[in-house]
Amino acid sequence: MQLKVQAFGLLAEIVGNNIIVDKQTDTDSLKKQLAVQFPSLVDIKYAIAVDKKIIAGNTLINEASIIALLPPFSGG
Amino acid sequence: MTDKKHKQIFVKGAIGSSFIADSIQKHSTKTTIGAHSIFLGQVRSDSRDDRKVVAIDYTTYEEMALEKMHEIREGIFAKYPLTCMHIYHSLGTVAAGEICLFVFTSAVHRKEAIDACEEVVELIKKELPIWGKEVFEDDTHQWKINNV
Repeated sequence: MQLKVQAFGLLAEIVGNNIIVDKQTDTDSLKKQLAVQFPSLVDIKYAIAVDKKIIAGNTLINEASIIALLPPFSGG
Repeated sequence: MTDKKHKQIFVKGAIGSSFIADSIQKHSTKTTIGAHSIFLGQVRSDSRDDRKVVAIDYTTYEEMALEKMHEIREGIFAKYPLTCMHIYHSLGTVAAGEICLFVFTSAVHRKEAIDACEEVVELIKKELPIWGKEVFEDDTHQWKINNV
């Protein structure tokens, strides 16, 4: 199984808007997997949103989760 | 999971001065209002290593931004006695000197309108998933960083 992950801003420029990652059960393991799949992400600061909320700590995820990688915001 | 439709805040490209004027005009029938506060964000032509910013290209995670904006709006209305509040943010390319953010709060008295406007601007910059890409004269670019 695989997870669909959206990326935005600077991250989208590096990995594309939509990426596919091997299925992970929580966001900590997702981060590790992302670092393996996309080594260029290691030095970049980003937050993870699950179901449109930024996670505060390690969060369980499944195939139905809406997952997004968000670099620091710069609106306005 | 409910997917409630939230109020749209995004407009394509720059926010024109006639649009802002029309927004003000529309409030003339709301005669309980005694004060409007308006914040306008303008694209600044910063210089970075001798390259000049000519435009900012904005993108967003729209579903999340509109949901977050809805929460911010509810929080502001709970905190301040506002008559109304309108928010517009640009997406896509906005040239230096053009308006990219328009926040408009109205109340019976000035203090609420001014305080609410200031707080909303801060929350928009801090909490909305929007990204600005600064485009330079030579077509190179750099991702904007907000001062917090």
